[in-house]
Amino acid sequence: MIFLFACALPGPLSAQDNYEIQVYGAETVAPKTTMLELHSNFTADGSKALPNSPYDADGMYPTNHAQHETVEITQGLTNWSEVGFYIFTSSRSGQGIQWVGDHIRPRVRVPDSWHWPLGVSLSTEIGYQRRDFSTDTWTWEIRPIVDKQIGRWYFAVNPALERSFHGESVPHGVEFSPSAKISYDFTKVITGGLEYYAAYGSLGDFDNLHNQQQQFFPSIDLNVSPNWEINFGVGVGPTASTDHLIVKAIVGRRFDWSGHHKKGESESLQ
Amino acid sequence: MNRREFLAGGSAAAASSLIASQNRTWAQQGPADVTLTIAPLHLEIAPGKTVHTIAYNGSVPGPLIRWPEGKPIAIDVFNRSSDPDIVHWHGLWIPSDMDGSMEEGSPMISPQGRQRYSFTPRPSGFRWYHSHAYAGHNLKKGGYTGQFGCFYIEPKDNAGHYDQEQFLTLHDWNPSMTGADDASMDVSYDAATINGKMLGAGEPIRVRQGQRVLFHILNASATLTHWLACSGHTMRVVAMDGNPVPVQKSVEAIRLGPAERIDAIIEMTQPGIWVFGETRDELRKAGMGIVLEYADQTGDPRWVAPPETQWDYSQFARAEKSAAPEVRIPLVFRSKFTGHGDFDHWTINGKSYPKTDIVSLQKGKRHRLIMQNQSTDDHPVHLHRHTFEVISLDGKLMSGLKKDVVVVKAKGTAEVDFVASNPGMTLFHCHQQSHMDFGFMMLFRYA
Repeated sequence: MIFLFACALPGPLSAQDNYEIQVYGAETVAPKTTMLELHSNFTADGSKALPNSPYDADGMYPTNHAQHETVEITQGLTNWSEVGFYIFTSSRSGQGIQWVGDHIRPRVRVPDSWHWPLGVSLSTEIGYQRRDFSTDTWTWEIRPIVDKQIGRWYFAVNPALERSFHGESVPHGVEFSPSAKISYDFTKVITGGLEYYAAYGSLGDFDNLHNQQQQFFPSIDLNVSPNWEINFGVGVGPTASTDHLIVKAIVGRRFDWSGHHKKGESESLQ
Repeated sequence: MNRREFLAGGSAAAASSLIASQNRTWAQQGPADVTLTIAPLHLEIAPGKTVHTIAYNGSVPGPLIRWPEGKPIAIDVFNRSSDPDIVHWHGLWIPSDMDGSMEEGSPMISPQGRQRYSFTPRPSGFRWYHSHAYAGHNLKKGGYTGQFGCFYIEPKDNAGHYDQEQFLTLHDWNPSMTGADDASMDVSYDAATINGKMLGAGEPIRVRQGQRVLFHILNASATLTHWLACSGHTMRVVAMDGNPVPVQKSVEAIRLGPAERIDAIIEMTQPGIWVFGETRDELRKAGMGIVLEYADQTGDPRWVAPPETQWDYSQFARAEKSAAPEVRIPLVFRSKFTGHGDFDHWTINGKSYPKTDIVSLQKGKRHRLIMQNQSTDDHPVHLHRHTFEVISLDGKLMSGLKKDVVVVKAKGTAEVDFVASNPGMTLFHCHQQSHMDFGFMMLFRYA
């Protein structure tokens, strides 16, 4: 099993919503199985409030020293589809715990039976986030996902396209927000990698580098059990529009409701 | 002429000379009793569903070979495929150069080549034959193909009491590498068949009420263990791997690791149309099943799941302790991680084949293989050219159960005894193709 499925959602559009920082793998959650994940992200160096204001220059709560907790619940539907649901929260000194918004994310993939040489999947995500946390409140994303595991190496690319339906980015049309991951299995348990997240701006009219979001996350995946997914990373954002330092962690637990044993397992006949 | 052309020309000339020489030799050998032709096959396993494979004589399974015990047989094998191949005669006590394992010294059969196998089949019982070619990452070769067939050696005195005899061969198709629960890659399949047909696609087994039907069941899957049950009926296990069991017992379901065989008698006492199939829904839906049809009965085939069962070899063995061995051979099985995107590699006593130690056997002596499986996979281990007696499994003592394949459970132990009575190189390996191809093999040599 590829445990790296991990996945990604850099903030929609030009907003910096560091809630789910993950590069998606093509694998989907198996039917009759639920994946429960907690994404914990702390922005050590992010946007700051304007003088005498609780908001930053974009009119949002600042991200500096904000703790974002996101609950992701993904239910496998078939052996080629799943649906995910997100609850985003933020806590910061003086603001308490705040509900940020929710997203829903159906996803399909190329079934194993097609025997494609690459893992290929397509995710779409729609949701709402409060204006206090994003310049765009209703957004939609479509995310092609391609990945491949070769021996100890793993590669994933998510060339995501995003669209705002309500907010400042509506005039920008479709924006390009790719992410990618490369990793290497040092041992059966420890996988080290580098994740990349970006928001380039409108398709055909990219922002200049200064205004683009660019983040690099050296990361570690711990493959301690088929039922657990654990990922840590420290992200550096070198451009002015990016939070400069973020620490992220993902802990996921898989719940199998099928009652089935592994295919081919010999212990039991059912 | 460059070196490549020189080598190609030289090879062609050598091959031509070899074929001419072989033709002369074959003319002197006389006609074969059985002929097998290895060739590509488009096999329709269900209406509209075809698998592209390699098979013997254009059918899956290959032809049933029934042969009297003790009578010499000559089998000609023609290779009309594009790769070298080899046929292993599984469970027979025959010489190394006829056994069909290149590791023991049997020759590979080159494309367009042919090979005569001559031996005296023994012991009696349900044996089989199959490709013993290396597949590695190419899941269209070796045990993944349709190259298998049943070989029944008729006993001199047939003690069976039955009205009908059926051979069932289980196989899985369209293999691919997929992620496994143990974090490495494993082989999974799209389809499964019994006798080359998915459930409902082939001819049913036709029976009459009151008949006793003897089933010879072979798991010819390259890697998967299978559970089978005959809805509404119990199965009386009378032999395992072709050898009569000391304790016959009726069970609701049987388990077969890759390469294992079970002979079971079913008394036809429940008129109806039934499914004889895999107990796990997903595998039965993938096709592993066959319809059992009583005469004068109509309706849709009915599946009745058997109760939860734990497989226990010891129920078919005697409980008393077996004789002590003269030589003990400890074997420790481990996996070696090579990345989440690849098959594990395997070691026996810390080494992978071909670097595994060669164990020395002493002719005439009773040897005990003391196996400790420290991996998280089950291993159906097979000893070529000999039959062993299962002595203990996970510490549970038993005797009298004779086999040539035994499943050593993940994190489990097993002990088997055999008498070194068939000199020559002898291969020992896990019968999961993806395990044997990646190191899980070892040679025994007579001192």
